[in-house]
Amino acid sequence: MKRNGIGALVIVPLLSIIISFLIGCMIIAALGANPADAMRYLLKGSFGNMRNIGTTLSRATPLIFTTLCACFAYRCGVFNLGGEGQFIIGAIVACYIATKAPFTGFPAIVLCALAGAAGGGLWAAIAGVLKVWRGQNEMIITIMLNYVATLLMGVVYTNWLRDGSVPQTVAVPDETQLASFFGLRATVAFPVAVIAGIVLFYFLFYTSSGFQLRAVGLNMTAAKVNGFNVKRYLLMSFIVSGAIAGLGGALELLGTQLRLINGFAAGYGFDGVAMALIASLHPLAGIIVAIFFAALRVGSTTMQTATGVPTSVSDIIQALVIVFTVAGMAMVKLPEFKNWFARRARKEV
Amino acid sequence: MGSFIANLLLATVRMASPLIFLSLAELYSQRAGLVNIGIEGLAAIGSLTGFLISLITGNPLLGVLAGALAGILVNMIFAYATITLCAEQIVYGMAINIFAPALAAFTYRVYFGSGSELVQVELMGTMKSMFGIKSDNFFVNLFLDQTPMVYLAYILVIVTAIYFTRTKSGLNYKAVGEYPKAAATLGINVIGIKYLSCIICGALAGIGGAYLTTCYSKTYVDGNVAGRGFIALAAVIFGRWSSGGVLIACLFFGFCDALQIRLQLVNNTLPYQFFQMIPYVATVVVLAIIGAKKAGPRASGQPYRKEER
Repeated sequence: MKRNGIGALVIVPLLSIIISFLIGCMIIAALGANPADAMRYLLKGSFGNMRNIGTTLSRATPLIFTTLCACFAYRCGVFNLGGEGQFIIGAIVACYIATKAPFTGFPAIVLCALAGAAGGGLWAAIAGVLKVWRGQNEMIITIMLNYVATLLMGVVYTNWLRDGSVPQTVAVPDETQLASFFGLRATVAFPVAVIAGIVLFYFLFYTSSGFQLRAVGLNMTAAKVNGFNVKRYLLMSFIVSGAIAGLGGALELLGTQLRLINGFAAGYGFDGVAMALIASLHPLAGIIVAIFFAALRVGSTTMQTATGVPTSVSDIIQALVIVFTVAGMAMVKLPEFKNWFARRARKEV
Repeated sequence: MGSFIANLLLATVRMASPLIFLSLAELYSQRAGLVNIGIEGLAAIGSLTGFLISLITGNPLLGVLAGALAGILVNMIFAYATITLCAEQIVYGMAINIFAPALAAFTYRVYFGSGSELVQVELMGTMKSMFGIKSDNFFVNLFLDQTPMVYLAYILVIVTAIYFTRTKSGLNYKAVGEYPKAAATLGINVIGIKYLSCIICGALAGIGGAYLTTCYSKTYVDGNVAGRGFIALAAVIFGRWSSGGVLIACLFFGFCDALQIRLQLVNNTLPYQFFQMIPYVATVVVLAIIGAKKAGPRASGQPYRKEER
């Protein structure tokens, strides 16, 4: 039974991806393009050569951070939908330090990263405190804080740190920018993201705190009865998930975007939620899913230039994957489905 | 100053209307035990559909109808997944929030092509312009300078209040959200009512979204729902799951929205974004103040399995 359970966690998303791509191909055909061509350009654009792979990994990096943010929070039963706001706050803090600090280079980078993580963690802590002590619905609070963070970033790039007449902040100084690999787009932020994923994986599945945190997420009452400090774990999951997103925001600013501008991080929070759910809240699977969807996005630009199919097809495919995966996961848990499966297994024996 | 307050009150009534539709959508859903956080997404697809149809037909009312239909269609996915497949409602609502806006954005791109200038659509006329009334009296404006959709919103509040408190059918409906197994033993069709709730919810959320493009703004832009779907969730909690309470909550949030627009117009020293934060900050503050008195339907959020005993 246990093996069936794990099999479903892999088979359901894979099937969902195949079905979604088939529907995507139908849409592409309906738009008058050749689906096979489109798919070829999609692959070529995302993994065709080293340069494209670098671009894909660079696009994947912020998504990995927001995915990990969602994974960690949901493991503790906290529905943190505020990844985007926490990501933005991290970037704002990093932007201030990078452009205002009297020093540049490595110390500035480290300070930006730490302060960005702290900023994201504190921003998430607002929702955490309201959840733990006022029993409030964390989904609504974190989403409202997303809007506040986006508007605050607007103030920063239109007023406080505005670069002359253009509504954007001044760029991060050259010395404080993250180093990239072999002249590719991907920066050291990518390995940092992967390491963060591995650390989370280790913490969640191989430490006793991680076990207790997951226990709180699975059954809060049972955890309370067993004497776990539920409030502490809830608050911790808010702060740590916010810090992950904040770190991602800081590194995205220093590595890729270099300035705050309208549309910075738009949609990253919900993307992270989607990817975490597709990955069944597993941090390492989350990294793979994030790279996959980043590839889809990067490749869709090549596809648009070559075949004229709009890039938003990739958003539709991503949305379909989440719709099918979540429904599929629920379906395999249905008693009817389980019975049917058990009967089939018995027949084979 | 007098005109400032008058305009503020007029704008409050206008801005509360879409929230009323969205909050009632959530109310009908939760009363049948379904927490649907996908209202934001449903409103996005309703908004786009309303915009397209009123542009094509030139009739905003048809746009609203089409918006309702689009909301129902998308919400049927939620209904099937959460009622029949027993998927987690919160998770599936989130899936709808990702799927529906993507669909809306894609449809807009495909229909208008990329890079074209903003297309404008004719807004629905107000009663005042329909009857050709010239007066600029405050009360004339308050009661007559409104689109038919505003009246519909307030009528729906009254109808909902009567339905849930005064009719047998309404009490049966509420029983499904409170204690579905007991409701089933009384011969109430629990699954049927849950599906019905999703139809009502989808329609109202679609209308709420369509309101934004047929009565409020002449253009469609991605993200034009701007969190109203989530504020509606807060309004249902704030309004203690009653129709009247929801109305008060919506008027309050509508007031915050109206206030930020009016303040932006009179003040140009502070960055305008600070005013735009008002509705969102108000939502957080209100939720923090009222705390978590559990008053909602008892079986809200729980799956209902027929066979389970």
